[in-house]
Amino acid sequence: MTPDPLNRLVAQLAKLPGIGEKTAQRLAFHILRAPGEYAAELSQAIREVKEKVHLCTRCFSLTDTELCGFCRDSKRDERTLCVVETFADLMALERTREFKGRYHVLHGVLSPLDGVGPEQLRIKELLERLGDGRVEELILATNPDVEGEATALYLTRLLKPMGLRVSRIAQGLPMGGDLEYADQATLAKALSARREL
Amino acid sequence: MRLLSLQVRDFRNLSQVSLAPSEHATIAVGQNGQGKTNLLEALYLLATLKPLRAGRLSELVRWGTQSARVVGRFLLKGAEREIAVEVGGGVRQAFVDGKKAASLEDYFGGVSVVAFTPDDLEVVKGGPDARRTFLDRAVFNRFPAYLKESREYGRALKNRNRLLRAGPVEPAYLEAYDETLARAGARVYVRRRALMAELGPRARATFEAIGRTPEPAAYGYHPAHLGEVDFATADEATLAGALREALATRTRRDGERGFTSVGPHVDDVTVTLGKRSARAYASQGQQRALVLGWKIAEIENLEAALGFLPLLLLDDVSSELDPERNAYLMNYLSASGAQVFLTTTDGSLVRGAAAEDSLWLGVRAGEVTSAGAVLESSSV
Repeated sequence: MTPDPLNRLVAQLAKLPGIGEKTAQRLAFHILRAPGEYAAELSQAIREVKEKVHLCTRCFSLTDTELCGFCRDSKRDERTLCVVETFADLMALERTREFKGRYHVLHGVLSPLDGVGPEQLRIKELLERLGDGRVEELILATNPDVEGEATALYLTRLLKPMGLRVSRIAQGLPMGGDLEYADQATLAKALSARREL
Repeated sequence: MRLLSLQVRDFRNLSQVSLAPSEHATIAVGQNGQGKTNLLEALYLLATLKPLRAGRLSELVRWGTQSARVVGRFLLKGAEREIAVEVGGGVRQAFVDGKKAASLEDYFGGVSVVAFTPDDLEVVKGGPDARRTFLDRAVFNRFPAYLKESREYGRALKNRNRLLRAGPVEPAYLEAYDETLARAGARVYVRRRALMAELGPRARATFEAIGRTPEPAAYGYHPAHLGEVDFATADEATLAGALREALATRTRRDGERGFTSVGPHVDDVTVTLGKRSARAYASQGQQRALVLGWKIAEIENLEAALGFLPLLLLDDVSSELDPERNAYLMNYLSASGAQVFLTTTDGSLVRGAAAEDSLWLGVRAGEVTSAGAVLESSSV
């Protein structure tokens, strides 16, 4: 008979994505045996992430203050706004250290099949935000799949009449000469969108 | 490309089959319902990962067992590769040389197969969806990227239909999906058009040889309801624009019916004999000759494009053709040098495709045996 507290921990861990029953058990034993304050620190970190992290009231990325770091950073160019599906996408763009504008996180894409319409996304908030006239260009960085494409087209329809410059991130081959690993549809698209040098 | 060996376990009614096919013709003889077609179906699944007949994946697993497995060793571009497919629990998994194959496409590049079934022979006479499937199968074979492209179209279509059924939505939302659908649809148009441009003339020429008909055959693909656009020459962007327009003008009607009434998913392949619809006017023999012409054209076209012959699977086609056209097909198969798998209820019908190196199999109640005896009895 395993003690109930251990069973409870295993059950909770096994709910995590990508974690099966056995891995959950291993993690639970690890936590149990870990020296010092590890368990206390872990539980505190878990509690705090829920208590303190919330959505930025302007761009809807994650923050533990009212406005997120990207919105507060005065060195960032407020004239350019990059629209992404998720916070994970924002982090990916940040890793490039190329983009110096601001962000807006939609928290999803338009997907009738999944019952997600414009009102489920942070689109109204995006439009409100543009009301102050500071943003001049929008970069639509939704994924290059059906729903991402449709979302970008929808936003274009709303934003163009407002006199804003709207652009869509390019699609095609990944950098670094991985032609041989690209799938046929990507390659076919890259071929048909080739440009003259 | 050549199949060196084939193993089948618990696939439909086949519990265990292991065979080394002939370099040319492998002929499975048996009565109906014994499992001949299942053998071809296993091969088709191995080469395409798709079932040959419509239905659920679970139906492929032999009754009372957990999973089905098909393994083939292929000689592909000078190298031996083992490809395996397992079906179980409603999913299928492919393995290439024992490693899970992440994408279907890696695999399509190498193995290519053309199947020919009695259902195909009815395709001229039958409904438009059968003709679209027939066409799309040829497009998949010719352009591997089409798999993903047509799926994108399908997804955009489902989304738009759902939106139509949801009742009135703000116009910009529907327009965004119209545009997405139009772009994906334009891709499907140009793929199908490109295939027809290659295949049409070949199919016409083949029909001339077997049709015994003075009127020339024509195979065409002309999207319906696209408006003024000149389909033969328009570029992809123009086609996308035309489809978007067509979608927009039909929004109200589509909304009432709850589905999208224009686009590649409702198009048809037209087959004519001397400008008259073959569907309405051609005899049964002519209709089958028209399909035969198409299939042979598809094989030749693939050979020209790939540099090697695809694997050919013919399921009991001979009994449905008249003797002269059957003889033409058999001679074509034996002259082509292709690796062919044929099933028949009567061995004498496919004699013309056989040679000394042919492998004759007997199929009875899910058991496959090497079958000299079966041949003797059926060739009397």
